[in-house]
Amino acid sequence: MNPRAVTTDVLLGIVPIALLVAFWQGLVSFGYAPPTLLPPPGLVFARLAQQLFTSSFQQEIAATLLRLFAGFSIAVILGVTIGLAASASPAVNAVVRPIVRVLAPLPKVALYPALLLLLGFNHQSKIMLVAADALFPILLSTYYGASMVEQKLIWSAMAAGTPRRQIMLKVVLPAAVPSILTGCRIGLVISCIVVFLAEMITSTDGLGHVLVTAARTFQAVDMFVPLITISLLGLILNGVLQALRTYLLRGFPEV
Amino acid sequence: MMSGRDVVSRAAPLLACLGLLGLWEIAALVLSTDSFPTAWGAIRAIPSILGDKESLINILDSLRRMAIGFAVGVIVSIPLGLMMGRSRLVASFFNPLLMVTYPVPKAALMPIIMLWLGVGDLAKTLVIFLGVSLPVIYHSFQGAKAVEEKMLWSGAAMGLSAAQRMIRIVLPAALPEILTGCRTGLVLALITMVTSEMIARQSGAGNILFNSLDMGQYDTVYAMIIIIGAMGIGLDAAFENLRGKLVKWSEPSFEIPLSFA
Repeated sequence: MNPRAVTTDVLLGIVPIALLVAFWQGLVSFGYAPPTLLPPPGLVFARLAQQLFTSSFQQEIAATLLRLFAGFSIAVILGVTIGLAASASPAVNAVVRPIVRVLAPLPKVALYPALLLLLGFNHQSKIMLVAADALFPILLSTYYGASMVEQKLIWSAMAAGTPRRQIMLKVVLPAAVPSILTGCRIGLVISCIVVFLAEMITSTDGLGHVLVTAARTFQAVDMFVPLITISLLGLILNGVLQALRTYLLRGFPEV
Repeated sequence: MMSGRDVVSRAAPLLACLGLLGLWEIAALVLSTDSFPTAWGAIRAIPSILGDKESLINILDSLRRMAIGFAVGVIVSIPLGLMMGRSRLVASFFNPLLMVTYPVPKAALMPIIMLWLGVGDLAKTLVIFLGVSLPVIYHSFQGAKAVEEKMLWSGAAMGLSAAQRMIRIVLPAALPEILTGCRTGLVLALITMVTSEMIARQSGAGNILFNSLDMGQYDTVYAMIIIIGAMGIGLDAAFENLRGKLVKWSEPSFEIPLSFA
C-alpha cells in the first residue's frame, strides 16, 4: 500500500467518528437533549483528560487491567495447551470435543452468580469469568490451526529423527501461530467486555464500578468516561497484539 | 443404518452433559456448603420455575427480545458487511468506527440508553441489536473480501449488474463466513440479553437469576443457570443444524486428525 492511500483511508475513517461526535454535540446544542441526560462531548473529553491524571482513577484502571490480564493469560495458556493436545491425540480429542461443544455456546455470564458464591466477591471470581469466556475462541482456533498443519512437515521432521515433543514445539506450534493469534484477538475483545460487565455486577473498584456508581448518582458525565476509557484500552491492547503478530509472523507469507 | 461409532459420536455431547453434571454433584457433596447445592437439587428446582406462570412469561419475554434484536441485527449487518468487503471506500469509512466500538461492552451502554428509552423492551432490544451486529458485520466483511475476483469478472462479462453480482456471487460465496458470524452473534445475543436484564432489573430471565442471588435462593440461582445454559446449547445446536444444511458444500467431508504414526 502506498502512503497516499493510507492517508486517504485514515481521513475517511475519521469522518464517521467526527460525524458521530458532531451529531452528539448537535443534539445538545439544539436542545433536543437536556445536558443532565446527555452532556456535551467537550465536557466528557475534558473530564476524561482530567480523570486520567488523578491517582484514584488510575487505580481503577489498574484493577481492571490486572483482572483482564490474569484472566486472559489463563485462557491463553489453557486454550493453546488443550487445543494442541486435542489436535495431536485422538484420545484427548474424544474427551475434549463433546465437552467443548456443550460449554462453548453456554453464556458464561450466567455462570457468574455461581462463581461469586464459590469464589467470593474478590478478584478470583472475575478472573475466572474472564478466563472462561476468553478460553473457547482461543482453544478452537488453536485446534483448527494445529489440525491444518501440513502432514508432510510432520513426516519430514519425523524422518529427521525429531522426538514427538519436539515436533509439537518446533513444527506444529509455529505453524499454528497465525490461527492462534486470531483466536487471541477475539479472546482479548471478549475479555475487555466481560471484565467490565463483571465489575458492573459486583465490585468495589474497577472501571465497571465507576460506571455503576455514576449511574446510581445520575452523573451523566462520569458515565461516559469509563466507557470511553475501556474503548481506548481495547484499541491500545489490540494495537499491541497487532504489533506482536507482525513481529512473530515476520517470516510468514501475508495472511 | 447407523454404525456403533456414529451412535457414540452423536451421544457424546449428551455424555459430556451428564459427565459435567456428575462432576458438579460430586463437588457439591464434597464441599457441602449452603451456597453450592447439588446438581440434582438444582434440577429439581427447574419445574417449579417453569411451572410458575409469571417466570415463564418473563423467560419468554426475554427470548422474544433476543429474537427481535438478533433478526434486526443480522438483516442490517449482512448487507453492510458485504459492501465493506467489496468496496474499499466503504471499508475505510466504517472500519475505524467498528474498531472503536468493538471493545465497548454493549450491555454497559444500558444505563445510558435507559435514561433515554426507559427500562422497557425498546432499550433492551436495542442493546441486543448492537451486540449482535458487530460480529456479523465483521465476518461478512471478511467473507466478502475473500471472494475470488475471477468469479466477479466472469459474472460481469456475462452481463450481471453490480447489484446482481452482489446477490448471486458475493452472498453465496461469503455465506459460510457470514454464518460463522451469526453463530457468534447468537451467543452474544444471549449474553447481552442476560446482562441487560441484570442491569435493568424489571423482567426477564436475567432478572430472575440475579434477584434470587440477592435473596439467597441458591437452588433457583443454579436452576436458572441450567435453564439459560440449556437455551444457549439448544439455540447453538439448532443453528448449527441449519448451517450444516445451507453450506454443506463448503465443509470438508471428513476431518483428518494429525498422525504421529
